[in-house]
Amino acid sequence: MNRGIIHIDESPIRLERWRRYLPNWLKRFLPSRGGRAEDHHGKAMFGFTVFLLSESIVFLSLIFTYLALRLTHSRSWLPPGISGLELSSFVIINTVVLLSSSFVIQPAENALKRRQLNRFRWLWLITISMGTYFLIGQGIEWSNLDFGLSTGLIGSTFYVLTGFHGLHVLTGVLLQIIMLVRSFIPGNYHKGHFGVSATTLFWHFVDIIWVFLFSLLYLWQA
Amino acid sequence: MSRFLEYLLIAGYIAVLLVVSHWIGQQAYSWMPVEATAEAQKVDDLFSFLVSIGAFIMLGLVGMMVYSVLFFQAPKNDYSEGHPSRGDVKLEILWTATPTLLVLWIAFQGFNIYQQLNILGLEQVVHLHIPLQSEPAIAAEVSLPKENNETIDVLVKQWDWSFRYPNNLTSPELHLPVNRPSRLNMHAQEVIHGFYIPEFRLKQDIIPGREIDIVLTPTRTGNYKLKDSQFSGTYFALMEADVYVEPVDKYNQWLAQAANEPMTAKNRAVAEYTQPPKTIFKTSWYTVTPAPSKFPVANQRKVSNDT
Amino acid sequence: MTHDSQESITGNRESENSQKQSIENWRPYFSFSTDHKVIGVQYMVTTFIFFLIGGLLAMLIRAELLTPQLNVVDRPLYNSLFTMHGTIMIFLWIIPFNAGISNYLVPLMIGARDMAFPLLNAISFWIIPPAGIFLLSSFLLPNGPSQAGWWSYPPVSLQFPTGQPINGELFWIVSLILMGISSIMGAVNFVTTIFWMRAPGMTFFRMPVFVWSVLSAQLLQLINLPSLTGALILLLFDLALGTHFFKPLENGDPIIYQHLFWFYSHPAVYIMALPAFGIFAEVIPGFSRNPLFGYRSLALASLGIALVSIFVWVHHMFTSATPGWMRITFMVTSMLVAIPTGVKAFGWTATIWKSKLHLETPMLFAMGGAAMFLFGGVTGVMLAATPFDIHVNNTYFVVGHFHYIVFNTITMAIFAAIYFWFPKITGRMYAEGWGKVHFWLTFIGANLTFFPMHPLGLQGMLRRISSYDPQYQGWNVIASLGGFLLGVSILPFIANMVGSWLYGQTATNNPWLATGLEWTTTSPPPRENFAEIPVVRRPPYDYGDPKYSVIEPPDYHEPENS
Repeated sequence: MNRGIIHIDESPIRLERWRRYLPNWLKRFLPSRGGRAEDHHGKAMFGFTVFLLSESIVFLSLIFTYLALRLTHSRSWLPPGISGLELSSFVIINTVVLLSSSFVIQPAENALKRRQLNRFRWLWLITISMGTYFLIGQGIEWSNLDFGLSTGLIGSTFYVLTGFHGLHVLTGVLLQIIMLVRSFIPGNYHKGHFGVSATTLFWHFVDIIWVFLFSLLYLWQA
Repeated sequence: MSRFLEYLLIAGYIAVLLVVSHWIGQQAYSWMPVEATAEAQKVDDLFSFLVSIGAFIMLGLVGMMVYSVLFFQAPKNDYSEGHPSRGDVKLEILWTATPTLLVLWIAFQGFNIYQQLNILGLEQVVHLHIPLQSEPAIAAEVSLPKENNETIDVLVKQWDWSFRYPNNLTSPELHLPVNRPSRLNMHAQEVIHGFYIPEFRLKQDIIPGREIDIVLTPTRTGNYKLKDSQFSGTYFALMEADVYVEPVDKYNQWLAQAANEPMTAKNRAVAEYTQPPKTIFKTSWYTVTPAPSKFPVANQRKVSNDT
Repeated sequence: MTHDSQESITGNRESENSQKQSIENWRPYFSFSTDHKVIGVQYMVTTFIFFLIGGLLAMLIRAELLTPQLNVVDRPLYNSLFTMHGTIMIFLWIIPFNAGISNYLVPLMIGARDMAFPLLNAISFWIIPPAGIFLLSSFLLPNGPSQAGWWSYPPVSLQFPTGQPINGELFWIVSLILMGISSIMGAVNFVTTIFWMRAPGMTFFRMPVFVWSVLSAQLLQLINLPSLTGALILLLFDLALGTHFFKPLENGDPIIYQHLFWFYSHPAVYIMALPAFGIFAEVIPGFSRNPLFGYRSLALASLGIALVSIFVWVHHMFTSATPGWMRITFMVTSMLVAIPTGVKAFGWTATIWKSKLHLETPMLFAMGGAAMFLFGGVTGVMLAATPFDIHVNNTYFVVGHFHYIVFNTITMAIFAAIYFWFPKITGRMYAEGWGKVHFWLTFIGANLTFFPMHPLGLQGMLRRISSYDPQYQGWNVIASLGGFLLGVSILPFIANMVGSWLYGQTATNNPWLATGLEWTTTSPPPRENFAEIPVVRRPPYDYGDPKYSVIEPPDYHEPENS
């Protein structure tokens, strides 16, 4: 940036000096020297990341509710006659599929960065299938459970937590489909590929949330 | 020399403020209702202390503002700079450190008084048997002398209060012996209510499904009002019960007498529901029907106990 | 600043033309515009209308409380009145008005052409009118709006005796969720704008304190609003879909709702107050011709207030089923939040000390607001002391305290801001005499209405009651008369605003000779804000700079006709 700017300011700490020590990926999120408004991609990714951090707190509040209710009702958690959640192989496979899809979508985005459109589209399509598989699996699991939404606290917490998460998975898959369709429009990436980057980040976010939910709902048995 | 005078004036101003604030703090006692428990005295002391400090700060700063308005107004067209100072690090440190010490001091006083409230028996014991909350319950059980306590069941519902005494008398009135600890075992039926007697300086929300105990020792005979302090629906404003603090013999007398003449309360909510007063604006919006005050069935469905 | 010249301070012909254009062209204000200036005005006017509606509800409440008995409205209606009054004032007046004025000013103050995400900005605004109308429409439902207070505590809020699925509580929850979405979008926008769109040379410590307070407030929104969203979702499920999160008779826990609710709603008061403090920090230096005293401390105090306020929420639950250790912990943290707040108050006072005061309307509102804030802040520290709070919680003492903050401080700050930036936004000057009338009526009315609530609370008068013991009548009458005075006081304000916008004298670029980048461009600014993006070389509040430190009449009467 312009070295001619005279620093008559009252900053108690020279934040600029500390910026050097940050890792690259963090540096990209933080602008330097009064902002770089022309970096649309960086600006938009910053905004989207901030949004996701905020959204994760909604999940945190739902998880807090689950924890508070479960910890204070540990003995009576399962209503009589309900066997609760089973850590079946079906569930495990579902989880593995969802979590490994993160390792498919990232190479997809990387391929797009190198403008390898065909590779991008194939990897992207695989991700969509994996996400859809998860959703269908979740639906099947729901229909096979022996408790419903109104069945005690387990019903309330399980369905709201997984349902809210499932809604985000669905949103992710829909965004992916839109991105896939748009990839066929000529000149789509002239102004950058923010949509794909954001969708990828969103997908990672959805997967991380699932790690927490899976542990708290399935791994933690009474 | 004028520097010295300036400091002298500032010192004088502060001295005057201290005297005035102290005086205002003393007046604060008269703003509170009469003190009917020993705890009330402590709370009023805390309040007076807070008022003194608050008055000092307010008068000090507002005084400076008023002085500025009176003496620092610029001539109409003078937009020149007042003074170039952008700050003063020493002063800023002073006015950060001093309030920090001040609020910590206030917090310490508050903590002290809160502890004393506990020791004197004004505490709530929540029988929920939650692992996280078990310590206070146990501590409370240890410090409370059980033998002296009369346990009165307080049953609150939409929209009235009932009290069940040790001799199985149910009454809409709360009678308490003066200078003796009484234990109140409180239950709410459907929604959250609040137990509040201003003269006692005591307030506690009652959550349905939980038993909440408080122990209190009134120190002044008289008639008081118990109010519901947590909004509980349509006829919330009508939830008042009479409280009678009387000497022990009078209290026992009443217990014996009233057992022979069972009272049904004039339930104000039911009365108003059946005959609504005339108001300018009327809606026909439904409300939860107020149940009449027979002896209310306490909420038998307790929270599953995890003991 | 490179593009500063005598012209941009005292006015020029260019500004005249652009003024004519925008005043006569009212269409953008009713359209879907992505210009932050248009959006800002849209927010401010829309929320002001909701303010009037909320105020009307308050007049009805005060009319009822004129006498101890119930004689104006019936009980369900009264309960819906205070519920809707609180909800409207918080979520449809102060919070979105702050979004509006921040929207207008922040890009100008940091030297940007617009917000980071202009389309998102427009969407954020356009959620508000439908959400507000939707909320108000609940008055037309067969059983009325939500009647559980603006907190909507379960189990009371879940009681719907007729079992109708379409009910006021449902409308309330949905409306709030919509407004929350608008707020989060706005918060993302503001934070990104402030981080990424500052002009060259506009380092963090050259930003005006108003921008610091917007940054702090919007960061708070991002961190804490999701907790309310979670609470509302769970409440909605309990209300309409048969779950049991908060139903105590079904093993649920209503206290969890209280925690989730207050985790947002305490910081919410700082989200409302921080921009107000920022406004004081802009207006007061301008009218005292002094740099803001302790600029760095006040800037950092904004972040400090935001940080500490995340950790104080249980002080709203001191009488709830909270254990003793929790009460003490949050007493201490609640006391600590007074420190950065106090630092700000000292800074304003020190700025006024040994100054050259000009007591125009914006300054009157700013100083009046700051003085009344001291009272509100002091009672706040009192409320933080648990044993005292146990006595006055849920009484009128609390109502008096928070109205001293939301009305006597924040709304006064809002009026100060409107008067101060009116020339910039509209290109016209308002009528100063009527502004002063508005101030005095408001100042007197505000104190008459809300001061009596403190002794009432001490004496044990509860809040949210529609009838009361006759012993409380005296203070209630004074409060009600004060309330009616406040209702009347808004009339000269509306007349002034409308009349001045249509017929007021044209204003120059900088009628107040104030520092700040927004005053270097025309009044009103062109679509792109600045002819050229300024390069910042000087610190803020540079009242010693010879361009501002002048002795001559401010030129807002006649534009130059050279």
